[in-house]
Amino acid sequence: MNDIEQLVATLSSDMQPVKSAPHPYKLSLQWIGAAALYLLVTLALTGLRPDWRESFVEPWFVAEIVTLFALFIVSALGTALLAFPDLHQKRLLAFAPLVPAVLFAGVILLAWQADTPPAPLPEHSIECTCSILLTMLLPAFWTFYSLRRYASTHYRLAGSIALLSAFSIGALWLRLHEVNDSIAHVVEWHYLPMLGVGLLGLWVGRLVLKW
Amino acid sequence: MSEQNDNLENLMRQSMAGDQRAYAALLTETARLLKPFLSRRLRFSNEVDDLLQEILLSIHKARHTYDGKRPYKPWVYAIAKFRLLDHLRAHYADHLRHAEDYDELEEILPDDVTETALSYESISAEVEKLPEKQATILRLMHQDGYTAKEVAAKIGMNESAVKVAAHRAYKILRERLER
Repeated sequence: MNDIEQLVATLSSDMQPVKSAPHPYKLSLQWIGAAALYLLVTLALTGLRPDWRESFVEPWFVAEIVTLFALFIVSALGTALLAFPDLHQKRLLAFAPLVPAVLFAGVILLAWQADTPPAPLPEHSIECTCSILLTMLLPAFWTFYSLRRYASTHYRLAGSIALLSAFSIGALWLRLHEVNDSIAHVVEWHYLPMLGVGLLGLWVGRLVLKW
Repeated sequence: MSEQNDNLENLMRQSMAGDQRAYAALLTETARLLKPFLSRRLRFSNEVDDLLQEILLSIHKARHTYDGKRPYKPWVYAIAKFRLLDHLRAHYADHLRHAEDYDELEEILPDDVTETALSYESISAEVEKLPEKQATILRLMHQDGYTAKEVAAKIGMNESAVKVAAHRAYKILRERLER
């Protein structure tokens, strides 16, 4: 009996009925539901920005929130697809987070151009980045914990998109909580760190999701 | 071809339900399917067999991620390709390290790296204190008289790796004996 035959015999004798992993749509819905609940609870605890009525009639603010929310939803879906070795045979959809990311960057750029005269900068700076990072910890931890139960063959990318999705939650919370109209501040301290987090995700993905 | 695909998917569905015979047949068929795929991309047959075993283990580990409604082959090839790339990455990283060692080796040529002026018996006690792999290589080369190529085949390394390991061992021995 050669090595392969021996291995086949060992593995097959170990085979018990297996419960299939949930469909990635279902999996992403679970993540999205839990993250949305987390966002609501966090907002309930910390409070919605007092000027939210006025803010939600500002078209650029609405566009920013909508595209950020879309980024969160689509990156959660992308992460769920990337958790499967064959991307559940939906390769195009797995890379779909690129679309809301580009849209979001476009909206931010246009909002920045429309910000004339520029809104006054708030006194704080890095505190915003730290708050977002703290807020994203729980969804990030949960997503990675859940991802480890699958078998990603794109673990770096899965890590990066998972962190982007978690970061979007933190960024959404802060935009809905903090009274701040300065798009320059938002770009510098809310959204540029997102790029760093995306890169960090490549490393964390390799570290945590390699199997 | 389509019949064969249906067969693989049926076997996988039965396996997921706990049918051990179906699973054995599926893994055997998968190994048969993947062997030419790996052979075209790898040079040595022992590498192909090692990687094939690793892929079968990965399939077993990831079996819960297979969805019975999807074709089996894209799923299995995704895993095979992933393991192959991992293997090649490790292989080339190893080669790079050895290439650096070779630069070092060339500096001391024409010293024969497989020969030393001392007899093996006189330094065998020191050889046994070396890391196990290096000690084994020196023992095979100097006590049993194998060439570097034969040692490589015997312990599943490539020839250059054996020579480099021997060279490192000589360096350690030289330092110890000169003390």
